[in-house]
Amino acid sequence: MNPKRAPIAELARDYREDRAEASDVIGRTMDAIERAEPGLHAFVSTRREKAMDEARAADAAFAEGRPVGPLAGIPIAVKDNMHIRGEPTTCASRILKNYVPPYGSTAVDRLRAAGAIVVGKTNMDEFAMGSSTENSAFSPTRNPHDPERVPGGSSGGSSAAVAAGLVPAALGSDTGGSIRQPASFCGVVGLKPTYGRVSRYGLVAFGSSLDQIGPLSGSVADTARILQTIAGFDPMDSTSSDVPTPDWTQALDAPIREMKVGVPKEYFVDGMDAGVAERVRAGIDRLEGLGCRIEELSLPHTEYAVATYYLISTAEASSNLARYDGVRYGLRAGGDTLQAMYRRTRMAGFGPEVKRRILLGTYALSAGYYDAYYLRAQKVRTLILEDFRKAFESVDVLVTPTTPTPAFRIGENIDDPLAMYLNDIFTTTCNLAGLPGVSVPCGRIGGLPVGMQLIGNHFDESAVLRAAHHFEQDGGFDG
Amino acid sequence: MKISAADVAYVAELANLEVGDGEKDALAHQLSRIVQYVEQLEQLDTAAVEPTAQVVADGARAERRDRVEARDGSSEAAETVGLFRVPKVIAER
Repeated sequence: MNPKRAPIAELARDYREDRAEASDVIGRTMDAIERAEPGLHAFVSTRREKAMDEARAADAAFAEGRPVGPLAGIPIAVKDNMHIRGEPTTCASRILKNYVPPYGSTAVDRLRAAGAIVVGKTNMDEFAMGSSTENSAFSPTRNPHDPERVPGGSSGGSSAAVAAGLVPAALGSDTGGSIRQPASFCGVVGLKPTYGRVSRYGLVAFGSSLDQIGPLSGSVADTARILQTIAGFDPMDSTSSDVPTPDWTQALDAPIREMKVGVPKEYFVDGMDAGVAERVRAGIDRLEGLGCRIEELSLPHTEYAVATYYLISTAEASSNLARYDGVRYGLRAGGDTLQAMYRRTRMAGFGPEVKRRILLGTYALSAGYYDAYYLRAQKVRTLILEDFRKAFESVDVLVTPTTPTPAFRIGENIDDPLAMYLNDIFTTTCNLAGLPGVSVPCGRIGGLPVGMQLIGNHFDESAVLRAAHHFEQDGGFDG
Repeated sequence: MKISAADVAYVAELANLEVGDGEKDALAHQLSRIVQYVEQLEQLDTAAVEPTAQVVADGARAERRDRVEARDGSSEAAETVGLFRVPKVIAER
């Protein structure tokens, strides 16, 4: 990867200087998607006609010298759990078949208002539940680096579309690592912003205290540019924050000399791939070479994060997914009584992993088990948050591996839910603590990308993006 | 805690899910393994710890006035996707 690349900025410049036409770029993008899709399955749906109309409108605006948005004519892919008004959202689930949302999501609307052209909706694990995109009701997405391997998940369609060079950026959502883990498996940049930074209005809810929308792209500069467009207060999301949004694209070049970088020892565990640990250690050495001050520290409750996460996220999911009862959305199965209709609809509409998580969450919330499971998990969440609070008293960012292994094979973990969950061992902590985290490539093992995660304090995306940008400029993506 | 097929049936009923007889044993086995894994949280003394429901950084929560604002979602919905046909949800006596 060329460290100086920022494809969005370059394409925007080409448009401004009349060296490219949006209708040509979007047409070629749609052709490339069509050619790649039979082997890749990154998309649930594409929007060729609408995208071409939007591209021609952008070309007309450029030709007539009318004001255009900063992302005018830039092709973008969107995970299929975010709404575009009047167009289907499936969440890769049978239960949302034929569902057409009557409103758009704030994040996508903001991108489109800035001129970006959505070329299609990307594949995902059903309702964003999974780490491989194998739980899609349609078809698993394949990893562009090795079609026998998963792209990660749940935003696997978005990461694969970026990694395959089909789009310069895509939106994903991250509840326990669903942006960062697929970014890591596909060798792209994936950012989960601070909880509250990006409005979730129009994002289909999974775990409401954990969900956050963020960008995947090929470079840190482009990541910052997309974040700039989607971040900021939205009265339509009660968890949206009015903390001011800094100019991230301008902040990237500020020096990182003397930046304090913490390395939590609990993120280098027995049983993880030795090559992954080695690449991430080399990445940390590179940051030290760039003038960062490296400090080993401890986040003692890290080992409890996956258990805490799977109790809290499934409890919230069981509640959020209660709305899919055959009355208001998509699929409706027949039944003699209302109760039978609900049950048959949900049985026919949900895939096995979604059912498993609804059952687990319902169990954790049920009478007699609430205190032992759900409440206890909420208390451990406090301990995990306190670990980070203490760490950020002495460091600016934390650096860890994103995942314990590179991309695994399709089918390898699908029959073992617990093994699949343990893939999230390094990523769920950011969601539990509401912190921003970015995964950047840091070399490869046997042709497969490895990801390094940088975690920042609340609302300090600037620090992680700056460190990631300098790492990229120094050639760190290639290891 | 080991989860039995009967537990699965009970929780499925609470969750409005129909689970086939053939699936119950497999689900009981999978859920038992997951529950046994999450029970590691019992190793921690949490008696004096307050629960966290949601993490919003200090001073970051936006507040608004408690005032009704006009927004007619139903006509927007009808305009975009037409009419909805819903099943009868009130039982006959």
